[in-house]
Amino acid sequence: MMRFFSIFFLSILLFTVSNTAHAADSDAAALFYKMRERLNYVKDYVADVRMKIDVSFMRIPTVQGKLYYKAPDKLKLERNGGIAILPKKNINLTLSNLVPAGNTTVIDAGYDIIDNQKVHIIKVVPEQEQNDIVLTKIWIDEAHLLALRTETTTRDNGTIKMDLRFGKYADVALPDKVIFYIDVKEYKLPKGVTMDYDGNESIAGAQPAKGSKARKGKIQIEYLSYIINKGIPDEIFAEKAK
Amino acid sequence: MFRLELYKIFRRPRTYISFGIILAIALLIQVAMLFDGQTFLGFMLQGVEQFDIQGNVLNGYLITYIILQTLLIHIPLLVALVAGDAIAGEANMGTLRLLLTKPISRPRIILVKFAASVFYSLCLIIWLAIVGLTISLMLFGKGDMINLKSDAFVMILKDDVMWRYTAAFGFAALAMTTVAALSILLSVFADNSIGPIMGTMGIIVVLTIFSTLGLPIFDNIKPYLFTTHMIGWKGFFDDPVPYTAIGRSAGILAGYIVLFIGSAIYFFSKKDIQS
Repeated sequence: MMRFFSIFFLSILLFTVSNTAHAADSDAAALFYKMRERLNYVKDYVADVRMKIDVSFMRIPTVQGKLYYKAPDKLKLERNGGIAILPKKNINLTLSNLVPAGNTTVIDAGYDIIDNQKVHIIKVVPEQEQNDIVLTKIWIDEAHLLALRTETTTRDNGTIKMDLRFGKYADVALPDKVIFYIDVKEYKLPKGVTMDYDGNESIAGAQPAKGSKARKGKIQIEYLSYIINKGIPDEIFAEKAK
Repeated sequence: MFRLELYKIFRRPRTYISFGIILAIALLIQVAMLFDGQTFLGFMLQGVEQFDIQGNVLNGYLITYIILQTLLIHIPLLVALVAGDAIAGEANMGTLRLLLTKPISRPRIILVKFAASVFYSLCLIIWLAIVGLTISLMLFGKGDMINLKSDAFVMILKDDVMWRYTAAFGFAALAMTTVAALSILLSVFADNSIGPIMGTMGIIVVLTIFSTLGLPIFDNIKPYLFTTHMIGWKGFFDDPVPYTAIGRSAGILAGYIVLFIGSAIYFFSKKDIQS
């Protein structure tokens, strides 16, 4: 009799735990799909941006320009005759491209706090194997259906972490500020080619690249204003990289 | 006497060959970049292949920077062509003794000939600025400037470039003045101008190898070689600009100028002039 009750209670316990986990994953999946649906509202935008690239071997001043985006993956920074530097197109700087498309497996990963705000963490694994994204971890503000942080592991481009801060465009899920953390490879040119002048003095604030390991870089974009869904011709994105 | 020295320099056809050579160097680089600049750029930007770099990268400012690299070897040769001839040329033509019969002190002769050589060097630098910067900007337009160092990628906004070029050309003038001073010194010891010209170039080539080879064995002597500091103009294209290092380099070059001209005056004053 005792054995019967033990098996009975254990079964109920397992059933409850399994159901709870399943329910949590279902909730997480619903949350993810709702958030992804919101991202689909924006088909294109032109944004005035201020951009700062913070990579150890790159000394680039903060630049202003216009960032053109057209769904699903077209992106271009224009700087009124100046040089525009963006990570290669396969590391896209838009949230919609760092969130897996198509069918996905969504796993509930608990809760966390970002800027004194409780956020729901979910892990999303795309079901299509040819997708460059292997896994995306998303920190979602459930009340506003906004992703405040993502961490995307890609097949070819390392891990891209993104922090997003929302303000006046939160209702269309467009951020006011985005910080990307990317893996950058070593930079080195032969001294015989560049014939550097060092003057026997290291430049203050400069961190010369050393070693062969990949290191982290940071790209910060402040979105000053947006013009949303007004249509952008494809020719805008046609210029080749020089 | 200064005007007479300038007359001597600028009446010779070979003086103008130097200006022609600078024009040819600049045009050669500009035409090469016009037709095959993308290949060059592709090689130089391979270190930042993770990034898409769009816009007018191959602009006039970058081309001028490439042309300015010739300051290390080619322009010194042109400076030596005239400065190396200053005393030795007079000796070769047999006019040095005649010159010394005039009531002009020997140090003054050296200083005037040095001043005339410096004037000629300044003309070369100004000409280089005109054909390098002006024609490059006309052919390639303006844009933000990329400076590729061995361990850093520097971008300078286009509105922030011109003052750097003004400063760089000013520093280049100082570097070429050092070359002129060296040539004058060597010219004191020779009776024909080939020796000082070849001597100047030989010293610059050998010291440049020491300065740029990057072997640890040369590290101890590198800071004392004037060729290490002749490329101080490049410092103006860094961010932040290493003013202390540039100032030190300028001081060392000035020190070499004083040393070379002081030595030239000393040896010329003691020299037994036989031609």
